[in-house]
Amino acid sequence: MSDFVRKNICDGVAFGSITDDRFKIGRLSATLITPLDRKTAAANALLSCVLTRSCKKYPDFTALSKKLDSLYGAALYPSVRQIGDYQAVSVAVSGLEDRYALDGQSVSSELAELLCSILFDPNVENGLFNDEDIEQERRQLIENIDAEFNEKRVYAIKRCVDEMCAGEAYSIGRYGSRDEVVALKNEDVYAAWKSLLANARVELTMLGSSDPEKAYRGFESYFSGSPRVISPAEMTVKIPEQVKRITEKEELSQSKLVMGLRSAYFKNDRDCLANSVMSAVLGGTPTSKLFMNVREKESLCYYCVSRVDNNKGVMLIDSGVETENIDRTEESVLRQLELMKKGEITDGELEEAKLAIKNSLLSSLDSLAAMQGFYIGGVLREGQMSPAEAAAAADEVSKERVIELANAVELDTVYALEGNRE
Amino acid sequence: MDFTRIENKRVGEHYFRMKHESGLTVIVYPKKGFNSIYASMGTKFGSIYSKFMFNGKEVTVPDGTAHYLEHKLFESEDGDAFSKYAKTGASANAFTSFDMTCYLFSCTDNFRESLEILIDLMQTPYFTKETVAKEQGIIGQEIKMYDDSPDWRVMMNLFGGLYHNHPINIDIAGSVETIAEITPEILYECYNSYYNLNNMVLTVVGGVDPQEVLDIVNKRIKPSDAVDTRLILPEEPYKVVKSYTEQVMPVAVPLFDIGFKEDSTDKYATNKEQICTSILMNAFVGESSALYRSLLDKGLINSSFGYEYLEGLGYRSLILSGESRDPKAVAEHINEAVIKLHKDGVSREDFENARKVVYGKMLAGFDHKQSIASELISGEFTGRELFSAVDEAAEITLEDVNERLEKQLDADNCCLSVVKGEE
Repeated sequence: MSDFVRKNICDGVAFGSITDDRFKIGRLSATLITPLDRKTAAANALLSCVLTRSCKKYPDFTALSKKLDSLYGAALYPSVRQIGDYQAVSVAVSGLEDRYALDGQSVSSELAELLCSILFDPNVENGLFNDEDIEQERRQLIENIDAEFNEKRVYAIKRCVDEMCAGEAYSIGRYGSRDEVVALKNEDVYAAWKSLLANARVELTMLGSSDPEKAYRGFESYFSGSPRVISPAEMTVKIPEQVKRITEKEELSQSKLVMGLRSAYFKNDRDCLANSVMSAVLGGTPTSKLFMNVREKESLCYYCVSRVDNNKGVMLIDSGVETENIDRTEESVLRQLELMKKGEITDGELEEAKLAIKNSLLSSLDSLAAMQGFYIGGVLREGQMSPAEAAAAADEVSKERVIELANAVELDTVYALEGNRE
Repeated sequence: MDFTRIENKRVGEHYFRMKHESGLTVIVYPKKGFNSIYASMGTKFGSIYSKFMFNGKEVTVPDGTAHYLEHKLFESEDGDAFSKYAKTGASANAFTSFDMTCYLFSCTDNFRESLEILIDLMQTPYFTKETVAKEQGIIGQEIKMYDDSPDWRVMMNLFGGLYHNHPINIDIAGSVETIAEITPEILYECYNSYYNLNNMVLTVVGGVDPQEVLDIVNKRIKPSDAVDTRLILPEEPYKVVKSYTEQVMPVAVPLFDIGFKEDSTDKYATNKEQICTSILMNAFVGESSALYRSLLDKGLINSSFGYEYLEGLGYRSLILSGESRDPKAVAEHINEAVIKLHKDGVSREDFENARKVVYGKMLAGFDHKQSIASELISGEFTGRELFSAVDEAAEITLEDVNERLEKQLDADNCCLSVVKGEE
């Protein structure tokens, strides 16, 4: 496996590759990053779906699906993620490495061509996408957004973030809102396409055993001579004077408790890692303070987990509990956080949190999807480390540093979704 | 005693297998250049093992016992296994399915210590009144979490609509009431019946040396004598219980599962049967199919739509699932297409297309240690060899697929399960 090699095509457009012959499937992706903005979030999200539905060369859903089938079931998929206050719209293809094709077909070069067709030569005419494509994908995106309510753990976390970060770009969400998707016009999606290609920060990645040169040239011929600088996101943080409390009710067997907290925020990768160690000590592993106390000692729940979004400085702690135990669980969680702030962290707890983080970082080297996610997730930070460098850096995080970072954590919002079914 | 080396040219990989003198089956699958190692130890004992013969005696256990046992096995007299794993840095877990229970870890360092923990935990049951009682609250919350999961409910309701007597229609974790009946004695009885090395498999996948695994096994395994245990399954009629079932839950988009029940048999599906089914379903409802397109154009499905072949001892069903504003229309549409499919069969073009897709997806599975390990374990329990499946997929014919179709997708023997919100 080679290191991650990153070349700039021009300012704001980078092509990164890892040459690795351990896998049967190779991956190629294009990620377009812009500050999250109410005016464009929904259009960008719908664009990613419309782009992967058809293109000039394969002008409808079935034609494009048949093409993918003929490439041994290659996958083409849109994804939209949030990186702090930024929105990252990706289109990725993955498919069989050439040496495994039964008929000597070069799957990889066809996939590179296909991704370029999808991005640069979509199914547009007279400044508009195909209307049917827009309507079909709009319907599905709306169903997707609606379905977030179906899984209550996901929904409760989203509601907590909505309330906690109201008025901040962070709460716009990766898809924008349902109403914004409903109101989109074909022109808006077309404008999103034009604008993202011209102005977004672009991260292209190719991972696998094929020579990245061909894909590189395809992208270079489009992007070279088109430098861009994305404006920094606003990064507003509105901390309430007293803890916000929101309770909602649903017909559920189990109540969900989500606590939204503010943690320290850093641009530097190394500091972010220390923050992750802090969160892991509190509630990131099966021997963390939350697991050992809230679950094992008090038998209050099946899960009680903390995680930190280092691209924003937001920490979330969530659990599923009996309705009458909501307050007790909150107290129990806060007691553990208080103990950490006072420095009650054993050497064992710190060591185990570091081991878990190192294990997870080094394991990501065995999956191309995980490696790609790792690089894209940290691309906006300074001093980005490789998984191996990050694992080594985790070792250096001191107990004092963890205590200091725990002391930067403040409770902001408590969201409870109360169930009332026996 | 030596490993047998099993290799495959199409996959370009190999693995080692042996029946250890202790009775345990050991499989080591080296992945060249991989950083991490995934180890999994499984026993052929899951939620459908609710009634069995053990040493000439008939035993019936409360619903949720296999899953409860999984939780409690993590504890031994000298502390719980999670705490031990925490010191090696391994990420550990376990799961109980309908027909097996697996304990696993993944690590990049301290492999030897982690494997010792895994092997030890499987061999040191420690159940007391107090430790069993402590788990009631935790598992109670796990059960309630699943009660609120529409995906889980729509599937369990489907099984209730398909199966009259087969224990697949019992929730894996049981209910708050049934787990209250579980005692240390019941857990020991199940442990002694099914956590026997002759009924178990250890698989290790990743950057690992087979000899190292064998050394640890030799050192740690305590041999056990084979026991006489036999699963008792009730008679199951061919016909479904009902053709429609629904539950109202707080959901914004209704969910559906459409299940086509097949003739039950006491045999697992073969590699060939499974591959034929995958090709058949890919040709029938894959993304490039006419049916998928027509469901999409009518606004009836979205990208959550998919299918699964669920089979084991005494149960076989093809399940199509997804989210839809109008599940009944989806089911009608699919049933019409099924009738037409039985009349026309799969076409040559669709077959060639689908075979390529299935072949590509099978090879893709070899990139994931977890997927290899799980296929190796279930393969051991069901008699399906991993590599020969790839060769069979490359050689399957259209006639094989159309012959398979005759035994599947009976439009008169299906059930639609729906979870929807308040009207």
